[in-house]
Amino acid sequence: MHARRLSALLAAAFALAAIGGGGATPAADVPEIVIGSVLPLTGTLAQTGAGLRTAQVLAQDLVNGHVSYPLPLVGKSGLPHLGHARIRIEFADSQGKPDQARAAAEQLITQQHVVALIGTYASSTTATASQVAERYGIPFLNPDSSAPGLTSRGLKWFFRTTPHDGTFAENFVQFLADLKKTKDIGVKRIAVVGEDGLFGSGAGDAEEASAKKGGYEIATRVSYPATTTEVNAEVQKVKSATPDVIMQASYLPDALLYMRGYKQQSVAVKAILAQDAGFIDPGFIRTLGADAEGVFTREVFSLDIKHRNQAVPLIDQLFRERFAGKPLDGNTARDFMGILVLADAIDRAGSTKPDAIREALVKTNIPGKLTLMPWNRIHFDATGQNDGGAGIIEQVQDGKYETVWPFDVAVRPAIWPMPAWKR
Amino acid sequence: MDTFAQLLVGGLLTGLVFALVAVGLTLVYGVMDVVNFAHGEFLMLAMYAALGLALIGIGPLLGLPLVAIALFLFGIVVYRVFIRRLLAGPPEATVFGTFGLLVLLQGAAQATLTSDFQSVPNPPLQGTIHLGPIALSQASLVEGIGALVLTAALFAFVEYTETGRAMRALAEDRVAATLMGIDVQRVNGLAFGIGAACVGAAGSLLMLSYPVYPTAGAPFALTAFVVVALGGFGSIQGALVGALLVGLLEVFGGFYLAPELKMVPVYVAYLAVVLLRPQGLLGRR
Amino acid sequence: MTAKPHLYALGAIVVLGLLAAFGLHEAVVLDLVFTLLLYAVLGQSWNWISGYAGNISFGHAIFFGCGAYASALCVTHGLSPWLAIPAGALAAAALALVTGFPTLGLRGHYFSIATIAVAALVETFARTTPWLGKANGFELPIASGWAALQFPQKGPYVVLALVLFAAVQLATIALERSRLGYYLRALRANHAAAASVGIDERRCKLIAFAWSAMMASAAGVLYAQYTLFIDPPSTLALAISIDIALIGVVGGIGTLWGPAAGALVYVVLAKAVALRFGGAGKGYDLVIYGAIICLIAALRPYGIVGTIVDALRRRRGAVA
Repeated sequence: MHARRLSALLAAAFALAAIGGGGATPAADVPEIVIGSVLPLTGTLAQTGAGLRTAQVLAQDLVNGHVSYPLPLVGKSGLPHLGHARIRIEFADSQGKPDQARAAAEQLITQQHVVALIGTYASSTTATASQVAERYGIPFLNPDSSAPGLTSRGLKWFFRTTPHDGTFAENFVQFLADLKKTKDIGVKRIAVVGEDGLFGSGAGDAEEASAKKGGYEIATRVSYPATTTEVNAEVQKVKSATPDVIMQASYLPDALLYMRGYKQQSVAVKAILAQDAGFIDPGFIRTLGADAEGVFTREVFSLDIKHRNQAVPLIDQLFRERFAGKPLDGNTARDFMGILVLADAIDRAGSTKPDAIREALVKTNIPGKLTLMPWNRIHFDATGQNDGGAGIIEQVQDGKYETVWPFDVAVRPAIWPMPAWKR
Repeated sequence: MDTFAQLLVGGLLTGLVFALVAVGLTLVYGVMDVVNFAHGEFLMLAMYAALGLALIGIGPLLGLPLVAIALFLFGIVVYRVFIRRLLAGPPEATVFGTFGLLVLLQGAAQATLTSDFQSVPNPPLQGTIHLGPIALSQASLVEGIGALVLTAALFAFVEYTETGRAMRALAEDRVAATLMGIDVQRVNGLAFGIGAACVGAAGSLLMLSYPVYPTAGAPFALTAFVVVALGGFGSIQGALVGALLVGLLEVFGGFYLAPELKMVPVYVAYLAVVLLRPQGLLGRR
Repeated sequence: MTAKPHLYALGAIVVLGLLAAFGLHEAVVLDLVFTLLLYAVLGQSWNWISGYAGNISFGHAIFFGCGAYASALCVTHGLSPWLAIPAGALAAAALALVTGFPTLGLRGHYFSIATIAVAALVETFARTTPWLGKANGFELPIASGWAALQFPQKGPYVVLALVLFAAVQLATIALERSRLGYYLRALRANHAAAASVGIDERRCKLIAFAWSAMMASAAGVLYAQYTLFIDPPSTLALAISIDIALIGVVGGIGTLWGPAAGALVYVVLAKAVALRFGGAGKGYDLVIYGAIICLIAALRPYGIVGTIVDALRRRRGAVA
């Protein structure tokens, strides 16, 4: 018994020594570069937060490691222009609440003396955390919040890599325009449906504006409480407005209610264009089965992007190993990229001074092919918004999400109009 | 006109779903003056239980009696271990004790079952029934019938059985009932268990149409509180009437006012009713 | 009973708070102190109507929201945020009087559900009204100094919260000793008997409700100036109302120091659990907090302070 325990201990010690020896060893005198990350680690968004944290740590380890991928600054054993200094991420919990996000950002800046901040997923917490960064003059990189207003606040230290809801709405209209070039899609009237929180109302406003600009008529605008338990009136409103296309932003419980309502009331539309959320939840297809067929949803990421960057499946594999087998998704891929963008800027700055890092961020120009994303490039405009951002559109075909737009990353042609409801 | 008829039927069926959740709540209140604020979390547990059964091949309808029995036992345990002690304290102890239970159960569900949405894969009864111009989903029809059966059964139980009579006696006058030899703890425990069993049945039926997650019960419970107060705390018929009224107000309000204002007529109606009749529509003084 | 020990205790807290505000530079600690004081004020405000007057409210966030929205509206319209203090208080008091007049006479749960209904209506109003920012809420532009009621450091915020806390505690000490306080206690003990000796229930409760609302509104102004971002979920939602009520109860309902004790438990627990289980993110904080509330309700239904007061009384009784 004792001997066995001892040998197990010895084996463990050897294994540890092997890991220690195998990794890249930075020179002892090179200081670590500390990046602060504010994420919802507890509270209702904790599950998402855990994934984002894993993705960021993975990016950190790849930057510090020596295995190369077609991604910026990965595999150079730290930051070359700073004597191969390693980066280290300090996390702080936002609990998904604006006031806590503020406190978390403050803690990272004043106590951990981080050189830059990243985070925070929920748009309302990003709003407060980025204000703290602005006050202290620390660069803030937001990889994952989609409320359009965040980059129209005139902040000097705020940069956002992800496209926002306005871009996604424009993507919908562009998708319709691209389809129109191939066939007559017969779309004139669009119904805009969304929950009445920050997500749904922001998406709805953007869709309404883009659709009008694209020359479409808004058949109706339905804004409803997200926690509702029935959508009788909402479905009747949509039905009596006789739209050709529905653009929708819902969470899963309400998305299921609507889908069943549309079917039951035989709401005949050519397409439902959804803003991810409930429509890409794993429960969506699992619950609806054949009734989910033909629904379009925008996404920020798809494993199909492997056709453009072969790093996608490799990073996905590494991520699965660390996160209980769950695949890389839109949120985790964006946060992974966020760390790389920050590391790239700090490296080019060749300094940990906030001003120098900010200058380097302003000059960021990473081609789309060197990202995991469907983006054209990463380059910030005067407001700090990445002007090369774009989404993709997927369609449920044969029980799976298949990328159908943009056409150059599409793996299947779009089925238009979506099939009639099965009886 | 077709739209109106459709909304009317939709509102009534919605109301029946609310009644399904509300009857258990009002029974417990009637017997022991306790508003169980963790009622929605009991519902959530029932939904998880129904989901678990569905995943091993016992669908929500077949699993309904099992879930109801499980919740009945759970209710009795919660009463014995916890609620009984709250009743010994000041009135606000029951309010906050059950609130504590709400927080605890939500946290426990999040810790053990994650906050992901989960639903019965390819649930039964997803077809549509057409009655002239009106279209109904089979699931909501079954839920509505379930609500009517449950309410009727509960009403008959309270009116016509020995235990039911004891419950009514307790509700009327606690002291007199005790003097008549009614075992208060036993009857209270049974009432709490039956209230939980009702939620068990409701949870099973709701899994036909809804996904479950740690806070899934909260929106239903919030409506149920308003329904029960509107109908009159403790009145089973009141819960049914209140639920139908709330369902209709919500659906018609959503259509003729605006979907985002759909709850406004519900809350305004509650305030209006209690101002004129402080004990609710069918409640006793 | 003399007020002296309470005044000494309050004095000691103020001195400690000032020492912290001027002596400490750790933003995290000061943030904790500020949050603690703010919750203590909200708990006490709730305690006026629900503890002393005995009408349990689940809609108290709307008065907090009055202050927060007043602050946001003043600042975004180029007015001084100081104006938000009277404006928010006025709005909160008016809301309390208008909604309290018909509902304060309701008994027990009928009142509690009415507060939920009123709060839901107010939240819907804010969420759908363009000049109240709809779902987006407001972000307050960054400024600095006493005129703007915004500071780069935490110290001044702690001082302001301390002033508010002291004012609210003093007002509560005064309430406990006032005729209104006696009337409310009599009403709570037996409203029929109190009414029969000529106590005007509605008038007494309306006064308490209005004061209560104004205190919460002041806390709302401070919150908005501190967080610089408000929206319906963070200021008006049912969840905020319930947090406030639970703070009032954990410490001890209807007691002078109960809300402060409740706030201490709430804030320290939230922080400790976040530190201990930080990355796990699994709702353990809710489990522990829920269990504590359950235990208090079942074993110590008069809350922390209520239990201490009881023990003191018993000892004093034994001595005498």
